[in-house]
Amino acid sequence: MRTSAINNGLRSGVIFGVIIAAMFLIGFTVTGAGLIGKIFGVSSSYSAPAPAFFAIFIILISAWAGASAAPRPIAEADTLRQALSGGLIAGVVSGLFAAVLGLIFGGLLANQIDPRAYLPAVSPDSIKMFLLNQSSLMGSVLLFALIAASVSASAGLAFFLRNSGWVENKSKQTFNALSGILPAERAASLSRNPYARYAFWALSAAALIILPRAWGGYWNYVLGTVGIYIILGLGLNIITGWAGQLVIGYVAFFAIGAYTFALLTAPEPHHLMWNFWIALALGTLTAGIAGLLIGLPILNLRGDYLAIVTLGFAEIIRILLKSDLLTEFTTGPRGIRDIAGPTLFGQSFVSDVDFMYLIIIAVFIVTFAAYRLQNSRTGKAWFAINLDETVARATGINAFVSKLLALTLSAAIAGLAGALYASRNQFTGPDDHVLMVSVNVLCLVIVGGIGNIPGIFLGAFALKGLPEVLRETENYRLLIFGALLVVMMRLRPEGFLPARRPALENRDAPSPSGKEA
Amino acid sequence: MEKTNSTSAQNKLRVERSLRVFAGVVIGVFLLWRMYNVLAVEQNFGADTWVRFGLSGLILGGMYALIAIGYTLVYGIMFMINFAHGEVMMLGAFGGFFTFEALRFLPAPSATNPGLNFLNAHPFISIGLAFAVGIFISAVSGYFLEKIAYRPLRKAPRLILLITAIGASIFLQNFAMLMFGPQRKNVINPDILDRSAGWTLIVSDKAVLIPYTGIFSLALSAFLMIGLYVLVQRTKLGRAMRSVAQDKNTAALMGVDVDDVISKTFIISGALAGAAGVMWGIHMGLVNHYTGFLPGIKAFTAAVMGGIGNIPGAMLGGMALGVIEAIGPAALGIDFQLKDVIAFSILVLVLIVRPSGILGEKLSEEKL
Repeated sequence: MRTSAINNGLRSGVIFGVIIAAMFLIGFTVTGAGLIGKIFGVSSSYSAPAPAFFAIFIILISAWAGASAAPRPIAEADTLRQALSGGLIAGVVSGLFAAVLGLIFGGLLANQIDPRAYLPAVSPDSIKMFLLNQSSLMGSVLLFALIAASVSASAGLAFFLRNSGWVENKSKQTFNALSGILPAERAASLSRNPYARYAFWALSAAALIILPRAWGGYWNYVLGTVGIYIILGLGLNIITGWAGQLVIGYVAFFAIGAYTFALLTAPEPHHLMWNFWIALALGTLTAGIAGLLIGLPILNLRGDYLAIVTLGFAEIIRILLKSDLLTEFTTGPRGIRDIAGPTLFGQSFVSDVDFMYLIIIAVFIVTFAAYRLQNSRTGKAWFAINLDETVARATGINAFVSKLLALTLSAAIAGLAGALYASRNQFTGPDDHVLMVSVNVLCLVIVGGIGNIPGIFLGAFALKGLPEVLRETENYRLLIFGALLVVMMRLRPEGFLPARRPALENRDAPSPSGKEA
Repeated sequence: MEKTNSTSAQNKLRVERSLRVFAGVVIGVFLLWRMYNVLAVEQNFGADTWVRFGLSGLILGGMYALIAIGYTLVYGIMFMINFAHGEVMMLGAFGGFFTFEALRFLPAPSATNPGLNFLNAHPFISIGLAFAVGIFISAVSGYFLEKIAYRPLRKAPRLILLITAIGASIFLQNFAMLMFGPQRKNVINPDILDRSAGWTLIVSDKAVLIPYTGIFSLALSAFLMIGLYVLVQRTKLGRAMRSVAQDKNTAALMGVDVDDVISKTFIISGALAGAAGVMWGIHMGLVNHYTGFLPGIKAFTAAVMGGIGNIPGAMLGGMALGVIEAIGPAALGIDFQLKDVIAFSILVLVLIVRPSGILGEKLSEEKL
């Protein structure tokens, strides 16, 4: 038992030490300390944040490390002393990592060697902050003491809290308090009451009509982007969430929609200047046809190939758009400017407020369509394919045609989003259609709740809206997304707002194992 | 009843296969016509140029083959596309780069030349060290990639594994970018591997330079491929790997430690990718966080081309892809900017015409 606590501590210590070292090397220590400073109302955009904020940052991470190093109170034999010793070991090991790192870089700084030639994120300021503004020896010792103490203390605290049942009691209390505010039964009866529902919808509609005028250009821009990503997420959800086929190069269809729309409405390069609505429809249609053509040869193979082929397709599109081959046709890397905005009855609507309304309407239509699809016969066929393709085939579903339909619809929705995006920005270029867009969309679908429409709304707001508020973390966005994908798949593959359907089906279906269950 | 069903299914398969063959023939005829136009009618390039393209394609192909083996090994055992494999190669390339840089600053003065650094004083040791470090880093990252990201999902659906792999790939790529900066780094070789020096070949009265770096890379990749083949075919570990690839459960019943074999597979494929990464740095001369992405996808294309899961297929596919990519733009008379498009088009074409690859056996639907 004792050795297991020690092993556990050692392992957590090494992991935590590596995490601290990695954060230091990519400069996240500065960003993290800056965020803490922001909470205290101290802006640090021009200089490195104060070491006190860095200390708080380290203590916070140490608390997390200590909590994960403390043994779970499953076995009776675990004692507080063991938890403390495990935590102490974890703290000492990770503190050693940080101290060695501090000594190395402090020594470099003292000898006037700038590590930025190889490690651009490690600036002299960040080294000084890492050493808490002390000399390299003193700073390393302090850092070591700080980490060792806070990790072991938090390990002991976490063990104590878990063992005394305080966490469970507290979470129950919080839950009761929350449900006291809005009891589940009352909420359910409210949602069944037609007048309450009408009132809710009327209020939402009023808010959506008034707010874009009230909150100004910046929020219209941010929330417009969120809206476009909601549309993209709903589109990707059809093929990936419902039909269960991964598409990585989703941005290809986005690009096709945007470029079709741009070429038809912009004065350059072709001076077609078509009507907004016709171009929008054609952009959607072209992207859908592209999806159909991509899906035809691939979709009766196994799913993984679709992922890679669409990825390759997205890269082909991006390279072609950038190349000299298509420069005359698409203006090449310069992109297309002065893309038209919507017109209705001879009146042009191009202000940010008008676009916000347009995007809200588009989101509403796509959401409505998604709900209808979800409950349709086709939607059920997709779920069946996702669960088990062989069984779905046996029940008479034409899997190939269903998947093809899903991909076509997905692509068409991406085309719609692309056209809207190009029109709002009045510009589109190859750099708008990098793979990052697909990664963003995939990530928001998965984090929000794969296959679940409200989940996608949540994901879009969390992953596209939140980073706008936390501007400091901009550089780390993709890193965090990558980590998020791995962590979510491991801990909660169904997302934060999981789809309700599997649970429903499991409840309705007679238990396969009969009476044993 | 059952019989009619199976015959109609067979008919359907036959129709589909003939459609695929038809598409292949149409595309093939078109490409041949295009090549005939370029080679016989336009004649922009002399024989020396073609030899140069072909050789540089072979060199590139050697590296693709090494990476492709990693995809195929992992696919053969876990039926998953290890999307982060290109990033493992990139980490190896950085390992080689940093070893060279460190040795360049290490003074090793000799009697004749007091300003000599270790890199040029002991070039063979330096190159050996660079490969050792690159291979070590890649092997270790392959091991931890499997352990941290893939092992907990051993029983999860494939979609989840693939998403994890993509997440790992994005994470590693951005981590390298944040740590080492986005700009490209020049890899400074020891003088004996000067990129502008090499053997000269006389083709139709014109000199064709084959750089030493290329000869070295090609020889080393051939050596590593032979080594891997021996390992898989002749050793106990190789037999265990093949048995796990065939059937995990039965292999486990026969006393094979499946987890251990999978770990070692990731280590081996990581090591090969690391060697390819160091070679990439030595031969191409530029390394950054994006180094692994395109070669990774292209190597996957090569693995599919050769028949995924098939080791000789991956080698052949890698070589073939390298040559096609080097010769392709010139032979089809298109812009050299578009050489990346060729690789992706090949992937789509292979999947349309022959999804099981050149050497691939008829895989069951489960594996394909």
